[in-house]
Amino acid sequence: MALDRSVSRRRLLQLAGGATLAGALAACGGGNGSSSSGGPLKVIGAGSQEAGLRKALDDYKKAHSDFDFNLSFSPADQLQTALRAQLAAGNAPDLHAVYPGNGSAMSMVQLSKANLLTDLSSQSWTQKIPTGFKGAFQNDGKTFIFSPGTSVLGAIYNKKAFATAGVDVPTTWSELLSVCDKLKKKGIVPIALGAQTPWVTQLIDYALVPGTVYAKTPDFDDKMTAGTASFADSGWADAMDKYLELQKKGFFNDNPNGTTYEQATSMVGTGKAAMAVQVSAVLQAFRAASPTPDDLGMFPFPATDVAADNWIPGGVVVGIAASAKSKKAEEAKKFIEYCGQPEVVNAWAEAVACVPLYSDGDAKVDPVLKPFLPYLKDNKAVPFMDQRWPNAEVQPTHFAVVQELLGGKSTVPAALKKMDEAYRKSA
Amino acid sequence: MTVTAQAVRRDAVKAPRRRGGGIAPPWLFAVPALLIYVLVVLYPAFSGAGSAFTDWSGVGAQRSFVGLDNFQQLFHDDQALGALRNTLLLTVAIVVVQNGIGLLLALGVHTGIKSRMVLRVIFFAPVVVSPVMVSFLWKYVYNPAPDAGLNAALGAIGLGGLRQDWLGNPSIALWSVAFTVIWQCAGYSMVIFLAGLEGVPAELHESAMVDGAGTVARFRHITWPLLAPAVTINLMLSTVGGLTLFTQIIAMTNGGPGYATDTLSTVLYKQAFVFGKFGYSTAVALVLAIFVAAVSFIQIGYLRSRETAA
Amino acid sequence: MRKYKPRTFVLEVVMVAVAIAFLFPVYALVTLAFKDPGQIANKPLSLPDPPSVGSFGEAWQSASLGSALLNSTLITVSSVLVLIVLGSLAAYFLARTATRLSYTLYILFLVGIILPFQLGMIPLYQMVNDLGLLGTYQGMILFYTGIQLPFTVFLYTGFIRSLPADYTNAALIDGASHLQAFAHVIFPLLRPITGTVLILNAVHIWNDFFTPLLYLGGSGRETVPVRVFAFVNEYTSNYGLVAAGLVLAALPILLLFLVLQRYVIRGFASGLKG
Repeated sequence: MALDRSVSRRRLLQLAGGATLAGALAACGGGNGSSSSGGPLKVIGAGSQEAGLRKALDDYKKAHSDFDFNLSFSPADQLQTALRAQLAAGNAPDLHAVYPGNGSAMSMVQLSKANLLTDLSSQSWTQKIPTGFKGAFQNDGKTFIFSPGTSVLGAIYNKKAFATAGVDVPTTWSELLSVCDKLKKKGIVPIALGAQTPWVTQLIDYALVPGTVYAKTPDFDDKMTAGTASFADSGWADAMDKYLELQKKGFFNDNPNGTTYEQATSMVGTGKAAMAVQVSAVLQAFRAASPTPDDLGMFPFPATDVAADNWIPGGVVVGIAASAKSKKAEEAKKFIEYCGQPEVVNAWAEAVACVPLYSDGDAKVDPVLKPFLPYLKDNKAVPFMDQRWPNAEVQPTHFAVVQELLGGKSTVPAALKKMDEAYRKSA
Repeated sequence: MTVTAQAVRRDAVKAPRRRGGGIAPPWLFAVPALLIYVLVVLYPAFSGAGSAFTDWSGVGAQRSFVGLDNFQQLFHDDQALGALRNTLLLTVAIVVVQNGIGLLLALGVHTGIKSRMVLRVIFFAPVVVSPVMVSFLWKYVYNPAPDAGLNAALGAIGLGGLRQDWLGNPSIALWSVAFTVIWQCAGYSMVIFLAGLEGVPAELHESAMVDGAGTVARFRHITWPLLAPAVTINLMLSTVGGLTLFTQIIAMTNGGPGYATDTLSTVLYKQAFVFGKFGYSTAVALVLAIFVAAVSFIQIGYLRSRETAA
Repeated sequence: MRKYKPRTFVLEVVMVAVAIAFLFPVYALVTLAFKDPGQIANKPLSLPDPPSVGSFGEAWQSASLGSALLNSTLITVSSVLVLIVLGSLAAYFLARTATRLSYTLYILFLVGIILPFQLGMIPLYQMVNDLGLLGTYQGMILFYTGIQLPFTVFLYTGFIRSLPADYTNAALIDGASHLQAFAHVIFPLLRPITGTVLILNAVHIWNDFFTPLLYLGGSGRETVPVRVFAFVNEYTSNYGLVAAGLVLAALPILLLFLVLQRYVIRGFASGLKG
């Protein structure tokens, strides 16, 4: 359950609600009707990747007259239930969305362990996966998914609201607090938080732990695996304390636990709130919620007062994999190989506002993401934390304990203890 | 035709054990229903129950027998125990309040008031609407903003101090969910009580009135004992409904905030589809099934004995 | 006793007040559906002024409620018909035969009432898939027939046991086959309980959510609750549109209920008199 799953949730729902569920895989898919080679390739994609995946499929079809596909998107709940049930029944689509790394029941590690994914290691593009990202793509040295690149996590902010309060983008934690204070005095909600939507609960922690944990202990994940570190005795406690400090100071909207992601999005879009901690992949949703989309920007959310320690979270976005049970596995693999070409990677990444996995020249990147690029270059980006978690239980536990903390029903040590317990459970 | 008739007569001769003096119908009549029932319910349930003793993830072929591990884990799992507690609290709240309100509504419309037929229809209407839609309706009513839904209404009638974050506050969320169910189902309890009330002979009340019995006394000594069967049905229905409540929770809170509204049903769903622990999930489902069966039998036994005593 | 006294009037006022409070959520939803976004923001609880109906058309389109209604109707009507035929036949055998076999079968059916469906969820899903029935109407009809049979058989058996047996005996001795006797003599006598079976099953199947989500998701044959679920999640922050979608989705079954209220209420009230 990588972050991107969460991201994809809204887009998935968006798509599913309208045309897709409405009926028609046909209306949604680029092509339909059976081709001579035994029917179209069945593809179930993650909504956040729709623009890129559709373009790649369409372009591939144009170049291969005998290729046809049937593309659909299902809501995240269905990705959990329907796709999982399909996998269980041996009825998986030929190509389907898979979350990078580990940490969810639909993640690359969990599914490849169950022998449900086709090995892609023989394809040449897999050699170009940057070393730092290998864990997202590979299990036991074999590559199982393709993903177009990385998205980053930071504060999406409304420049007009910042101007009204006369504040600039903060670069340290103390600056952030004083910015929030000034915004609040102007009657603007400093940070919109829609924590009723479970995946939103984790974002502020994810924004803070690169600074409070990984900058000092870059091998924290390895230590966790080895059992020599724990959430409770790490910078996670610092991050959660800071999360609650923001709440205590009144920097969130009222009742974050009763507010949804969509409500928080529209608060920032309309300038009622100044910012929200989010992943870059949802920029489009924020732009859609704003009468003046150009007023929205993004900056790295500072976790500490030492600017050099303020690393950023950035992770591989949800990918696609070929089902091991597919009768068209060869066809599916060929398409993935096509996706691995640099120009396809670039086009796909541009379509979904993420930073391409690799590029031959200058990649086109959404200008809003510019402040993040130096961090990626300096290797100061930490993959979304859940991608290294060993089972599917840690992340939902994280969601739940944050809601408990916000509801005043738990303490930071108790919350981290629960996460440690979930972490130590078998995969 | 003749052959059939002969066969029938032979059957009639051969079937001395029959109920009510009838000629026993052929067992073939039960076969289609039995086949579908076994295919759709029994066989999957038993083959599924088997995985409660394995560590199957729900996908893939890997599974190994782990004996009673899942059940042992269940009784040491804070989340499952919390869910059990929530399930019981929710069930008690629904059983008591829904039937209390249902009874009051039934007594209210079982009178000479002019609007009685209209009121019956109004109170019953939510019963026929999908729980998903009712949940979404109430999710809006429970909007935490002070100027929307229930909070706005409280403000409008001068009770602004009672405004709450109905679904976001872990101390309140469970009761907010319970109230939604009660709102939807009180009409169901009402019509069952009404059917019971209609069976109470009016003469009994009239003679009691002549004897000078007040409203309360008449209710206690005439109406209530004769309502016993309706009480049995209502308690049974609301208990099983409360214990297995699922859709409303998933649609309104998804078990949150935190674990505040997780019940056995939502936990077993999450274990199977979110955590990828199908074996464990099935163990929870088995425990829930045994629980529901036990409670039902105890209730039937107790309430039936009360009915005959009355 | 039914004389309209001052006390009755007081009770009437109290009950009407209760009904108004009870209807508050419905009022909030319906007025919301008729408002444009500006009105929602400024006067959340007032009547829409002027009422705007634009949300309804958009909701109808976006949630594709038209085809969802057709899907729901087809699945509900077919399942209920199959249930009535198979359930009454089986119950006739179970109620009119006092052998160990029939008693065992009856108990076997009752077990199905308390088994949580989650237990067999994955194996059943696999089977429906193996039969090639995933995402089809037939798959759903098979599912509902199986799941609702225990309850249906339970209702019919109780009712048939309370009927005198003389009618069928007479018909059989007149030379009719068992099936003929059942169709012409017994089944018409079952009308009251058939009404109950029809109503309880139809409401349950029409409103069911989880199974159609699992079996029909993405197939284009989604039922009303599934479409509404996806629709509401998509437009969460557009309150007016969501409200219009909910109103439209609930309307058909509510209208049907209003037309048939007497039968529906009677069906529910007599439903579980075992």
